This record gives sequence, C-alpha cells and structure tokens, in this order.
Amino acid sequence: MPVAASAIYFLNLRGDVLINRTYRDDVGGNMVDAFRTHIMQTKELGNCPVRQIGGCSFVYMRISNVYIVIVVSSNANVACGFKFVVEAVALFKSYFGGAFDEDAIRNNFVLIYELLDEIMDFGYPQNLSPEILKLYITQEGVRSPFSSKPKDKPVPNATLQVTGAVGWRREGLSYKKNEVFLDIVESVNLLMSSKGNVLRCDVTGKVLMKCFLSGMPDLKLGLNDKIGLEKESEMKSRPAKSGKTIELDDVTFHQCVNLTRFNSEKTVSFVPPDGEFELMKYRITEGVNLPFRVLPTINELGRTRIEVNVKVKSVFGAKMFALGVVVKIPVPKQTAKTNFQVTTGRAKYNPSIDCLVWKIRKFPGQTESTLSAEIELISTMGEKKSWTRPPIQMEFQVPMFTASGLRVRFLKVWEKSGYNTVEWVRYITKAGSYEIRC
Amino acid sequence: MSGMRGLSVFISDIRNCQNKEAERLRVDKELGNIRTCFKNDKGLTPYKKKKYVWKMLYIHMLGYDVDFGHMEAVSLISAPKYPEKQVGYIVTSCLLNENHDFLRLAINAVRNDIIGRNETYQCLALTLVGNIGGREFAESLAPDVQKLLLQASCKEKAALCLLRLFRKNPDVVNADGWADRMAQLLDERDLGVLTSSMSLLVSLVSNDYEGYSSCLPKCVKILERLARNQDVPQEYTYYGIPSPWLQVKTMRALQYFPTIEDPSTRRSLFEVLQRILMGTDVVKNVNKNNASHAVLFEALSLVMHLNAEKEMMSQCVALLGKFISVREPNIRYLGLENMTRMLMITDAQDIIKKHQPQIITSLKDPDISIRRRALDLLYGMCDVSNAKGIVEELLQYLSTAEFSMREELSLKAAILAEKFAPDLSWYVDVILQLIDNAEILLPYAASKVREYMDKIAIHETMVKVSAYILGEYGHLLARRPGCSARELFGILHEKLPTVSSPTIPLLLSTYAKLLMHAQPPDIELQKQIWNVFKKYESSIDVEIQQRAVEYFELTYLVEDVEDTADQSAIKLRAQQLPSNALVLADPQPVNGTPPPLKLDHESASQTQSQPNGDLSKAQSQIPSADLVGEMVDSLAIEAPPVDMGSHQRVYREEDGIPDEVDGTAIVPIGDQANKVEPIGNITERFNALCLKDSGVLYEDPYIQIGVKAEWRGHHGRLVLFLGNKVTSPLTSVQALIQPPAHLKLELSLVPDTIPPRAQVQCPLEVMNIRPSRDVAVLDFSYKFGTSMVSAKLRLPAVLNKFLQPLQLTSEEFFPQWRSLSGPPLKLQEVVRGVRPLSLPEMENLFNSFRVTICPGLDPNPNNLVASTTFYSENTRPMLCLARIETDPADRTQLRLTVASGDSTLTFELKEFIKEQLIAIPMGSRALVPAVPVPAAPLAQPPSPAVDANDPGAMLAGLL
Repeated sequence: MPVAASAIYFLNLRGDVLINRTYRDDVGGNMVDAFRTHIMQTKELGNCPVRQIGGCSFVYMRISNVYIVIVVSSNANVACGFKFVVEAVALFKSYFGGAFDEDAIRNNFVLIYELLDEIMDFGYPQNLSPEILKLYITQEGVRSPFSSKPKDKPVPNATLQVTGAVGWRREGLSYKKNEVFLDIVESVNLLMSSKGNVLRCDVTGKVLMKCFLSGMPDLKLGLNDKIGLEKESEMKSRPAKSGKTIELDDVTFHQCVNLTRFNSEKTVSFVPPDGEFELMKYRITEGVNLPFRVLPTINELGRTRIEVNVKVKSVFGAKMFALGVVVKIPVPKQTAKTNFQVTTGRAKYNPSIDCLVWKIRKFPGQTESTLSAEIELISTMGEKKSWTRPPIQMEFQVPMFTASGLRVRFLKVWEKSGYNTVEWVRYITKAGSYEIRC
Repeated sequence: MSGMRGLSVFISDIRNCQNKEAERLRVDKELGNIRTCFKNDKGLTPYKKKKYVWKMLYIHMLGYDVDFGHMEAVSLISAPKYPEKQVGYIVTSCLLNENHDFLRLAINAVRNDIIGRNETYQCLALTLVGNIGGREFAESLAPDVQKLLLQASCKEKAALCLLRLFRKNPDVVNADGWADRMAQLLDERDLGVLTSSMSLLVSLVSNDYEGYSSCLPKCVKILERLARNQDVPQEYTYYGIPSPWLQVKTMRALQYFPTIEDPSTRRSLFEVLQRILMGTDVVKNVNKNNASHAVLFEALSLVMHLNAEKEMMSQCVALLGKFISVREPNIRYLGLENMTRMLMITDAQDIIKKHQPQIITSLKDPDISIRRRALDLLYGMCDVSNAKGIVEELLQYLSTAEFSMREELSLKAAILAEKFAPDLSWYVDVILQLIDNAEILLPYAASKVREYMDKIAIHETMVKVSAYILGEYGHLLARRPGCSARELFGILHEKLPTVSSPTIPLLLSTYAKLLMHAQPPDIELQKQIWNVFKKYESSIDVEIQQRAVEYFELTYLVEDVEDTADQSAIKLRAQQLPSNALVLADPQPVNGTPPPLKLDHESASQTQSQPNGDLSKAQSQIPSADLVGEMVDSLAIEAPPVDMGSHQRVYREEDGIPDEVDGTAIVPIGDQANKVEPIGNITERFNALCLKDSGVLYEDPYIQIGVKAEWRGHHGRLVLFLGNKVTSPLTSVQALIQPPAHLKLELSLVPDTIPPRAQVQCPLEVMNIRPSRDVAVLDFSYKFGTSMVSAKLRLPAVLNKFLQPLQLTSEEFFPQWRSLSGPPLKLQEVVRGVRPLSLPEMENLFNSFRVTICPGLDPNPNNLVASTTFYSENTRPMLCLARIETDPADRTQLRLTVASGDSTLTFELKEFIKEQLIAIPMGSRALVPAVPVPAAPLAQPPSPAVDANDPGAMLAGLL
C-alpha cells in the first residue's frame, strides 16, 4: 500500500499552524514554513493542489477557512492522500456535529490529536469510518475505576468489528420505529456558448441514505437505470416496460454493496451501516434535462456604458419550484454606477466579485423573469484592455427534480424478524458549475 | 486629516482583516464605492473628494492597482484650501510618474502656485516638481524655479527642484547667465541651503565646468569653514564631524575642475586637506567611521586629482597602509582600491611598495572582492625590482585560487613576467609553470618553440626547453604542416650532436614521449627512435644508458598493449593527458607493478566469458571471421603470464590482422547502416574514469566526449570536451543532467551546434551534499545529418572523488579505530568472489581510488590498513578507516572492515569498496578485450588494400 502522508498540518488562512501531526521523520518540522513562504504567500495558491519544493511534495486543499496540508517526501499516492483528507474532514464533521472550521479545531484539540493518531499509522491510512471510531474514541472523560459502576453495555470488540464479515455494522441494534431515508442529490454542470450551444454538460449524482433499522437487514434498491431494467426483463422473460431508462456512467458504491450480486443480477443489494452514509455515486452525460435556460444580451455602448439584458426561463414541471436562485452577471472592473429593473427578485452590484448579483428566492416552473441593467463605467488611466466577458454563473436548488431523470423504483428491506419499515425518498437537483457565456 | 471618519473606519477595517483575501474583498468593495462616488460628480463636495483620494492613496500603498481617479487627484491641486491642495499634491506625486499624460493638466496649476505669493503652496509645488517633474515641466517651469532660488525663502527645495529639472533637460540652465548667481548662492551662510546648492553645482559642473570657475574659491572657502569647525550649528554636525555631506559634495565638485592655478587658493585647500588626512582615524563607532571615511576618501581622490606634492602623497599612502592592515573588510577594500588608484600617479609607487607584504596577505583573504583588489594592486605596482617576488607569489596563489579567478591571474602573471623579467631563465620558468596550469596556452607554446627550433644556432637551454615542451605538447600541433611527430623528431635529433651530455637524457625522454603521442602510430618513427635508444644503450653515461634501456623496453611493451587494446584509449591519453611524469602515458610500469601484458592476459582470462561468447557467435555467423576468433581466443585464454619475450613478438606479428579487420569494420557502420555505434565500451570507460580524473567518456564515429576533472574537498569541476570528429557540423546538441539527490550539479550552457572539427568545452560544477553511491547521468544527444544520436552516460562524479588521501601513523590510527566501535559506525563483511589480486596490486587499487594504504600498521603482512577523508557539504571532513584482511590461501575472499564517524558514509564506502573489488576491473586492463567485441560480429572479409602495417589508419581516417 502506498504512503499517503509523512505529516499533516492544519493551517488557518494567515498561515499559522493550528494543529499538526508528523507520521514519519523523513520531513523536517520546518517544512510548513516552506509551504507558507512559497505557496501561501504567492499568487499561485489555489492554482495547483500539489506542489513540490525542495524534494518535498505538498498536497493541500482548503476547507472553509482551514488549509489542510499533507507533506510527503517519498513518491506517495496523491489520490490516496486527497481521499484521506476528505474522509478525515467528514469524520471530524461527524464528531463536531456539523461545522469544520478554525474555531471547531481550536475547541477540539485533544479529540483531533486522538483521532489523528488513530486514522493514520506511519503514513498509511487506517479505518476512517465514523461509526466504528465513535465506539472507541469518545469525548467523555476518563472514569475513575473506583467510583464507576459496571457498565451495562458489553465491551465492544474492535478487532471483531473491523475484521468481521460485516465490518460496517454492529450486531444487536434495535429501533422502535424502523425507518430508511433515501436522498438522490444531483448537481448539474453546464457550459453554454453565447449562441445557446451546449459545450459541456454533465450531472454528478449521489445516493445518500440514513438508516434506522434493527438487526441485520438486507436491502435491495431498484432504479430506472438501463442495465438494471434490461437484466430484470431478461430474467423475468418479459418485454421491457416502455418509459425512460437512464444510462449511468462511472458508478461507485459504498463498501457495503454486494458487488458479486451487482455483477450477476445488476441489482444493488446491501446490508447498510447504521446511520448516514453515501450509498453510491454516478455520473451522467447523455440526456440531461436542464432546469434553466438563460438568454443574455450584453451591449457595450461606447466606452463608458453597458446595457445588460438577461432572461431566465425555468423548464421543469409547472408544479415544481426552484429555491435560492442566484444569477451572477460579471461586469467590468471599472463599473461605477448601476441601474436595475427586475421582474422578480432583487439585484445589486457587488464590487468585490465584480458581478451583478440577482437573487430570486422562489422560482416556479415554466415561468420566466428578466433583468435589465444599465451600467456606467469610469474612465481609467491604464491602457484600455478589452473586457474578457467572463461567463454568467448560476446557483439554484430544485427539489423533487432530477436532471438525469433517475427515479427509485423500489427499495426493499428484508430482516429475519420481518418488521415493517417506513421508506422516505427525496430528490434534489443543485447547480454545480452552471455557466453561460455571454 | 483628522475628522475624516470614513477614512479611519476604512483603515481600521483593513487592519482588522484576518487574511489577505478578506483584505482584498474589502478593498474591492471600497474601490467600487469610490467609483460610484466619482461618477455622480454632482454631489461630490471637496471634503468627500479629499477623503476618497486619501483612500485611493492608502489602497495604492497597500499594493493594489488604482487606475482611475487621477483626474480627481489632479483637480485637487487647484483647490483653494490648503488641506485639499496638500492631498492633491501628495497623491499626484505618488500615483503618477513623469510619463503620464495627466500631468500636462497639472502644469498650469503647479505654475500658478510657484509664481504665487503663498510660501507653503510654493513648497508643495516645488516638492511635486522635484519628485516627478519631466521634460515638459523643465521647459515651462525652469525660469520660475530659478527666480525662486534667488529670492524666496524656500531655497533648498528650489535648488533640488532645479537639479531635477536640469537632469531632465540640461538646456534649462546655461552657464553664462547662471554662473554668477550660482556663486552668489554659495555665499549663503545657512548650511541647509548650501548643501542643496552644492548638489546642484556638482551636477552642473559634471556636465560642463567652464564658466563656473568663479565658484571655485567659494568652494574652498566653504571647506575651510567646515574643516576649521567654525560656527557650524549643532544640528549640522554628525558624530562631531561638521556636515560630512557638504564636505563630500564640495570636494566632489572640486574634482570636476582642472587643477587650481591660484597659489593662495591652492595653499589653503591643501591646508584643509592636510587637516582632513591628519585628523582621521579608525574608531570603534561604526557611524562615525563611515562618515569620517567618506570624507577622507573623497579627500584622497581630490589629492590625487590635484597632483599634490610628494610629501602629501606619502602621507596618504601611509594612511592607506594603515587601512589595509585593519580587520574590517570594508575599510581594507577601500584601502586597496584607493591604493590602486594612487598607482596612476607615478611617484607614489615606491611608497606603496613598502606595503607589499601586507598586500600579499590580502591575496589570501576569505573575501573574494578583497582578493581581486589585491590582485589588481599587485599587478599595478609590479616593476623590475619586485617582479620576481610578486610573480612567484601569484604563481603560488594560482594553485589554490578558485576557477573563476585563475584565468585573470595567469594572464596577469604572464604579462608581468614578460614585462619585467630580470633574466630569461626565470621568465622561462614562470611561463612553464603557467603553461602547466593553463591548457589553452599549450598549443601556442608548442608552436612558438617549434618556430625557434628552425633557427640555425640556438642556446642549449633553449634546446632543453624546446625538448620538454615539444615532448609534452608537440602532439597538439600534429595537424599543422611541418609538425608531425616525425618532423619534430627530425628537428630535435639534429641538435643531439651539438648538446652536452646532461641534455641528452632530456632529449631521449622527448623521443619517448613523441613516440607515445604519435597518432597514428608511426612505424618509421618508431624504428628511428629505437635505433637511437639502441645506440645509447651502451652509453658510458649511466643516466643516458638507463633511460635508453628503459624507454626502449617501455615503448616496446606499450606497442604490444596498444595493438591489442582499444585504439582510442591510447589516443585519449595522448590528447587529454599532458602527463607530468616524464616517462610515458601508461601508468602501470611507473607504479612498479609487473609489466602490463601479464596483467592484461590475467584479467582477460578472468573476464574472458564475454568476449569469448560474442566471438563464438560471430564465428557461427561469419565463417571468414574465424581467423580473428581464433586469434583473440588465443590471446584471451592461453597467454602464459610467465614468459614474455618470445610470445610477445609472435603476437605482434599477428596483431596486424585483427586491427585491420577492426578498421574496416567500423567504417561501414557510419556510412551504410546510419546507426551510430559507440567506439569502445561505455561502461568500461566510465569505470576507468572513476579511478582517474581525465579521459574519454564516450566516443562514436562523429563525436568524442572527453572529461577532465578537478576535485577539491566537496567541490569539483568537470570540464566536458565535446569534440566533433567530422568535417560537417553536429547540430541540435543537447546535454541534460539528471542529478542524484546527493549531488548539486550546474552545467554551463551547451552550444546547439559544434562546428566541424572543433572542440567545445562545457564546465560543470559539482558539489557533494552527502555520501551516496548514486551516479549522475548525462543525457546527451546530437544530430548528424538527419540521424539523431543520443546516449545516456554516467558521469564519473562518484563517491571516491570526494575523498582526499590521508596517511596516518599508528598513533593517529588506532585511537580512532578503537573509538569507532561496532555498527552502524563500523561495519564488517566477508566478501567472496573477489578478483584475485596480489597485495601490491590491491594497494595500488586502493590508492587509485584515493584510499591511502598506511603500511606497517597491521602486524599481519596479509592485512592492509587504509585511511582517507571524505568531504561533503552536510558533514565536516570525515575520517574514514578501512581494514582488509586477506587470506593468502584463497585470494578470492577477504574480510573488509570500514569505519567512519557517519553511519551512512560507512555503509556507502563499504559498498563502494566491495563493488570495486568484485565487479570493476581496473581501467586500463579492462580496455584490452574491448575492441574485438564490437568489431568482430560486423567484420567483413578483410580487404587486402588496407595497409597491414598501419592498424590505426582506418580509425585515424575517421577522425
């Protein structure tokens, strides 16, 4: 297995070390200074997530206001390093109860040290599953042996838990009400030319689950994806139902999914871990339903005036609605005065990002709204560079809509005791990088 | 500025920002705000305008781009109130520079302020012009500024402003009209005004001193006033020195005038200078030192400029002499530099000579700039009387000087020797030493000597010198007409009957060398020379006799080696090794080991499998090559090491055949197949280079890459010689180095093209950081015609190059040996499968990779004890000790113990020695079986046209 890290540092945006842990002694303690002087204080920060300085590689990413830097000196597996960071952040979040930022780190030093000790050993990633770690690493203080009464709970056996057949689920769980929550979250990435041609379009989706089920249940999920449907119709020897089928690319499953059964029967069957987890990830490039159409017209009138006209059309079902729609229309840096007229929502000029920001809280389906603005520019000393016209960006969330058209056909739960379960299914589509050139 | 709440809030916002990004967001927001406010100018009050312009300045100072709002800043200049005007001036002079078009708009407003009555406004305006005034300002404002300089109270600012305008456009001040007024200005009592006027004067007279002669006495007066320390206000004295700046400027101004004619002025000036020279000394306080020395050195240059009397000069030199013996490097540097300048005045030379020893010590200063100054000074002060000492000193220094200074140093030494040589023999000595050191001169020296030899009667010393030089470097001329080895021999041999007996041995040595260097081997010459040797074999003079016998034997033996060995190896020695040993190029006999032939066969039979295997393949493929195969087989296996005489002769007669095949074999490779085969075995060349410092690294029909290296401590300098062997240029030459982690390598630029038959030198600096056995790889490629050739070559910058031989006595050795006990500092290993070597051979092997054998330390005669020092950047010089215990019964195994103060070093060194003992045969021996290997498989039936007597002819034809 490849080395993922020789040391890990958590830095705030100023470059101060919040907390660090060295796993191998092949990197010096002052390497983080090199990171600060050669990466953080230059403009290259954010250009390239992996940099090499003097024989050491710095693999870093920013999460809210914290930089997480992995330092390695050998030929390490960078992808493994990044995955480790992402998983570690998810673990910290589940421990801290949501936020992961500078304050959260400052408030949980001891816990973080304890976790860092546990999740990596001599540069090799170890178990990062929150469910298991929470059994052994708790925030409770040390109990004195004399005052304590014998525990009710059986002492958890870590070895068995990790090495057992179902490493991700504890035995003997029981809930009064057996519930399963299933969310399909999709984000749409789009790049459209000014003439309305789609240059790049894809959807990345996740199936998130939250299980509160007793015992060792076996679950089976059916989607309206092409392979699964074909296989099913083949097995039941009846013609496939008419209707839309979806072709999924690049499917990745959680470790709990039984892959042999997926390969043979094309069904997703699994014994779920307790609590929240990500069941699968997928990508779709064909047949994407775009939730919004944007029609911009931007005219430069002379050197100091610009006229902007943007029309946004919602093309999803009339009964649905989008929430938190934000349209960011870039304007030149010299913008001095702006005048708006909008049919819905609110617009204003934000000089720190050089954009007109138009916000619409609720956008019903099959409607359209427009913004027209007049912009006055100030004359400058610098040589007149033509404005590069960056693309218009859009943010939104559309509940109960999937850009891919993916639907859950069934979710079955089997358990020995045969209890009844309640299943909840939600869909949501978000904007990834939704860009329209103008 | 008080009361601008918006501004202070903005500044405190910025200061409270946690990081750069937050700051940028805040700044962008503020800029947007300012833009909006500037755009709707209806409601922009002067107060608001002022506030925003201040903000702009603050943002500009933070390093952000502010490319608007200049209009507002400029417009504030013409505002009626002082606070707004001040902002306008300050921000304009910060944001704009003289090339901005916006400044034109400001000229008029600025002019109004200058000619106005308000003094404060005048000051603001003058400051702006003084800071960013350009040509246009100069044209329109100069007369007004001149007027101000004479009348107004802000004279200092006006003077500096005029200085700026003058620099931008020298036409604005003309000497006729201005000289009187300038003189008038110098009558000023106030030192501040005087300092700024003096700056103006310096600038004016540096441009043109004529017309300003009326200022001269005034300057002297000012100096007098300052030097006598009269009525100088307290605020203008700096560490007790009255206004050093004004003093320096005044003296600088005086240096622009020619020498002073008026005797009284001259006298008073000298009085002042005398006072300065006397009154200055080195004190503890750095600031005081700096100030007083600034004045002093200016005074010194003025003294030099004025061509003062001898007495004053000697005083100056005495002072400087004091300076160059001071510890402080800055003062020493200045002292040396000024002494060099002093030398230009002829009569100071004798006085300076007294300080010669001091200057020579400066030549060894750790600071290179001081060394350079000292070298310059020594060069300058040299004359007939002290030339000998100085040149000797320089030559001594040459051997330790760094590479960058060597060229200059040797050039200077050569010039001095030529200029001031007291007698010719000394000159020749010097030049010979220089020639030894400087490679570029070699062919030149040889050709000069060759010219002299043509003269009818020459002195015997000249014959000696010529014999030496021609012997050592004559081969460098081989391509010139009349300079072939045979001709050189002819010329020298003519002189033989005329010289006395002590010269004859020298000539014999030269013959041996000529024979060695002759390329291609010249049979005719060989016969002639052998005849000479034979003749002197029975000479009555023991010296001559011994040399004749030895040279005969040696050349005889070498011939054998040469015929069977790789041709280019000999050529390489001939070209690259101006051997200082008088004898000959092959090192074996010199070292006193058994004759080379024996070793050759011995090692060949150990490593026989390779050539044999290849040859048998060749036999099966090409039946006509049988002869070759058998022949080489017999060489490789049967050669009995005992009897030399008769066998050798037999071989030599046979040897013509493989070499002839060899020659024909190589030609078609280049011509037909268009595939470039390296000549010789690259690995073996590398191995050979690991043990010596110069030689051929790579060779093919088009190019030859030679290496010459110098090692000192953990530094090294390799020079790669890229020699084009053909008559068309080699293009797209590229050399990339892949350095291992433990070496720091810097390769100078490699030219893209190598012209026909030219040699290019590429120096390569090497620095060792820590011990490691990894090797640097040179990725070399070039294009010949259309075919691309590339090779990956290991560079011989290996572990042992950073070793320095060190011989220890038993008192030094044993305490160290005992103190390093056990792993990881001391490692022991039993090595099996070692190439059997006798003890003296092993000693030689060790010495050749710079691990010195310390004889007599170990009581057991079968054991060897060795020591060396290892240099690297990370560690101090490390002592390394080694002990080898051999088993007389079984030479193929031995026990090796290595110890040093560093565990890595111990390990690496042990592995290195092991590798050397097991795998790598010694360089010269390894070359023996090398040639037939590539040659035989490609062999065509031998063509009868080739001259069997001249085995290297075909090869040479390629060159």
